[in-house]
Amino acid sequence: MTNVARTGQMVLIAASAMFFAALTSAMVVRRGLSGDWAAPALPAWAFATILLPLLASWFVHTGRIGIAALAGAALVASQFALLANLQLARIAGAFCFVLIAAHAAHAAAGAAALARFGARAAIFWHFAGALWIYVLFLFGVWA
Amino acid sequence: MIIFSIDHKVIGKQYIGLALFSVVLGTLLSLIMRFHLVYPDAKVRLFQAMWPDGAPGGQMTPELYLSLMTMHGTIMVFFVLTTAPQSGFGNYFLPLQIGAHDMAFPVLNMLSFWTTALSLLTLLAAFFVEGGAPLSGWTAYPPLSGLGRITGPGEGLGQDLWILSIALFCVASLMAAINFIATIIELRAPGMGYFDMPLTCWGWFVTALISLFAFAVLLAGGILLLLDRTAGTSFFIPGGLIVNDQVQSRSGGSPILFQHLFWFFGHPEVYIAILPGMGLISTVLSVFSGKKVFGYKAMAIALVSIGGLGFVVWGHHMFISGMSPYSSIAFSVLTLAVGVPSAVKTFNWLATLWGGRLRFTAAMHYALGFVSLFITGGITGLVLGQPGLDVYFHDTYFVVAHFHLIMGVAAIFAIFAAFHYWFPLMYGRFLNERLGKVHFFLTFLGVYAVFVPLHFAGFVGNPRRYPDFKEYEFLKSVMPLHIGVTHAAYFLGAVQLIFLFNYFWSQRHGAIAPANPWNAATREWRND
Amino acid sequence: MAIAILIAALAGATLALFFQPRWWFPDAISAHAKAYDAHFVVTLWIVGCIFVFAQGLLAWVVFRYRDRGQAPEAHEGSGKLEVIWTSATAVLFIGLAFAGQGIWAGIHLEASNPHALHVEVLAKQFAWSYRYAGPDGIFGRVDIRQIDDSAGNAFGIDSKDPNGRDDITAALLRVPAGRPVELYLKSRDVIHNFFVRELRLKQDVVPGMTIPLRFTADKPGTYEVPCSELCGLGHHQMRSALVVMAPGEFDAWLQEAQQKVAAP
Repeated sequence: MTNVARTGQMVLIAASAMFFAALTSAMVVRRGLSGDWAAPALPAWAFATILLPLLASWFVHTGRIGIAALAGAALVASQFALLANLQLARIAGAFCFVLIAAHAAHAAAGAAALARFGARAAIFWHFAGALWIYVLFLFGVWA
Repeated sequence: MIIFSIDHKVIGKQYIGLALFSVVLGTLLSLIMRFHLVYPDAKVRLFQAMWPDGAPGGQMTPELYLSLMTMHGTIMVFFVLTTAPQSGFGNYFLPLQIGAHDMAFPVLNMLSFWTTALSLLTLLAAFFVEGGAPLSGWTAYPPLSGLGRITGPGEGLGQDLWILSIALFCVASLMAAINFIATIIELRAPGMGYFDMPLTCWGWFVTALISLFAFAVLLAGGILLLLDRTAGTSFFIPGGLIVNDQVQSRSGGSPILFQHLFWFFGHPEVYIAILPGMGLISTVLSVFSGKKVFGYKAMAIALVSIGGLGFVVWGHHMFISGMSPYSSIAFSVLTLAVGVPSAVKTFNWLATLWGGRLRFTAAMHYALGFVSLFITGGITGLVLGQPGLDVYFHDTYFVVAHFHLIMGVAAIFAIFAAFHYWFPLMYGRFLNERLGKVHFFLTFLGVYAVFVPLHFAGFVGNPRRYPDFKEYEFLKSVMPLHIGVTHAAYFLGAVQLIFLFNYFWSQRHGAIAPANPWNAATREWRND
Repeated sequence: MAIAILIAALAGATLALFFQPRWWFPDAISAHAKAYDAHFVVTLWIVGCIFVFAQGLLAWVVFRYRDRGQAPEAHEGSGKLEVIWTSATAVLFIGLAFAGQGIWAGIHLEASNPHALHVEVLAKQFAWSYRYAGPDGIFGRVDIRQIDDSAGNAFGIDSKDPNGRDDITAALLRVPAGRPVELYLKSRDVIHNFFVRELRLKQDVVPGMTIPLRFTADKPGTYEVPCSELCGLGHHQMRSALVVMAPGEFDAWLQEAQQKVAAP
């Protein structure tokens, strides 16, 4: 992997992290502000999807890029299934929707990058995986 | 293919072309606004022809005025001040100055430009949809911007397009920022350390870092606002609202939360506009004094400190917003602290000139004008940065004068300096020096004549964003002042034709420039 | 050469404008407004001195070192100078920030006065209404379903709440001179801004919030209140007024208003 590709991905990761930090802090503020917070009920299988990015990262690590990209695509598909069942009228559900949708965009981009650039896009993929764990943690534990 | 070129020089020129188009449009909008402010009852056939709904019978409606104002601000801030100094000149000269063949990601570079162009088209489309362009200003505070058509004309599809345009601009700017940062980190010539880079590169580097974090936050805010408008969410919309006699069903949102997200971007945006200019001015002053930049390292550190402190002062836009009065105190101290590196830069510019042999080229004129405007515009920050004093001046013409001088006009003087300085490299010819100086003197006079008097409208308490001043007794006294300013603005607008003529004429007919005509030491002038 | 003269001339003209009396602050009608003006003058002197010093130095350096064939000097930095001007401006600027906090504290950080007259201020596109609690000193409950502008119930005072029966609503903000006033600012649609120039007070009125604002006006008169936060197409016409009355006059007005409310 060239240095340029690695540095570019690191900078992109900084921007994405900032984007998620902005959404998170908006959520923390908004939750503390009004008494209308009711944690969204994600189905139990949502938390099982944590395995998909982990598996994908492992496939990337062991050089099986094609399967890794497929696992990434499966993650995106499961995120769409989650989005379809969220209530936007409730604020916690709305935040959940935005964060999952934002992550789906990242996961789709990451999977496409794996398919297109192979192992050179590994750093971003690992980041996207970690980000999914973070999102699930937010709504599974914190919210 | 020349249109979808991935060559950094072509892309740089494309950005500059987009910014030139935008600045002409934004200026025309402001002149129309200035006309309406002092002749609010005039019936103008041209207005009717351009906006049949907004100016029935040629009489401009308040909502048309407010939509022109919104578009003026948005076009100038995003498509001129963010686009030209960073993406335009930066794309062209950053690789040349650090000895790289191109930007790190040429295809991404091309995509950034075309996303920016799409963003501009999306914004302009707002003029042509039902209800017209939005009237909520470039700051787009909800609930005014968050509830749709019900809060006013232009708040329907026009506001949706505005948000979409800004979101696209965020994405384009993030891509550009990634490219700039990766280029500077990875593609510096062998042996070139960070502290060997010209200050222009420092300006672009810090600006790219600011863009990276600021636009990520604006994008988040924009998405949430769009959802409030289209999906019935309540991020920023509180409960119990009755708009236009209709009870709204939202609850629990906070308008102030949007302001925090917006200004977390919005204040750093000021530095996005000015830092590349600061870098260039350092170079121009040094070249035409025949001296090195005084205190190079202090200058680089000052750029970084301004960029860093710029992220912790956003609250000074919100002193009167209803946020905690205690946080205002912290924001106030930090705000005046950000004046320190700005003052350090001014001292170093003066010290660069000190003891030199000043060659008064056109570029040097603009650079000196920049320093003067930077002082005049910056110094009122010491007033507005104090919440106790801001409480009177907030949202008056005093603020309008302050930010136009510092982030508008000073930054644009840096752009003029850049054109005169780098034109020989871009087109192999000089911009006409004599025309350049004539343009400088008339423009310099014009900007002082337009913007200094506006401070005094602020002293009277004149609120900004008013389509006319007829309703208030106390505003009768400021009318002579506004009439003077409007005429000065016509003058200022007219003399810009000199520059436009020079710019297009000199591309073909300017004097042929030799290699390194200014005797500059930076890499872009090397013939290799 | 010419540019040095122009810089000096424009800086001089800018400075001269500060000595014209025509476009300046209006009367100060409260202790806070007077303190504001005093602190503003201090700030203006500091800012003015920096302005004259910096523009003057710029013009002078440009004039002094114009190209007369001299060889440029070779100095390219001085750590000592950097430390001096960095620390000097830091002390000055941050000192100014702290010096200005008294004015700010006077607006928002002082305890509310138990004898204050309480007035609720309601902003909507594009009008202001004011509500006084009446003889019982209690604001009646509000029910947004009962809001009816044409019937004079902009606040939506709940007809079922006895505390609200004596509430007085008005289109102008009338207060007695010399008595502390505590406003509660509310909006029912978008953000507006309550600004009284003569009090040197300005506060956003944010929907979903009730924001207190305190003042004591000491000079009778009528003072215009212009909405100062962009609120839509009628923003520039959203006008109201603060009427400061001699205490006796105010009592008479209040009594008359109470009688009107009491009469069915």
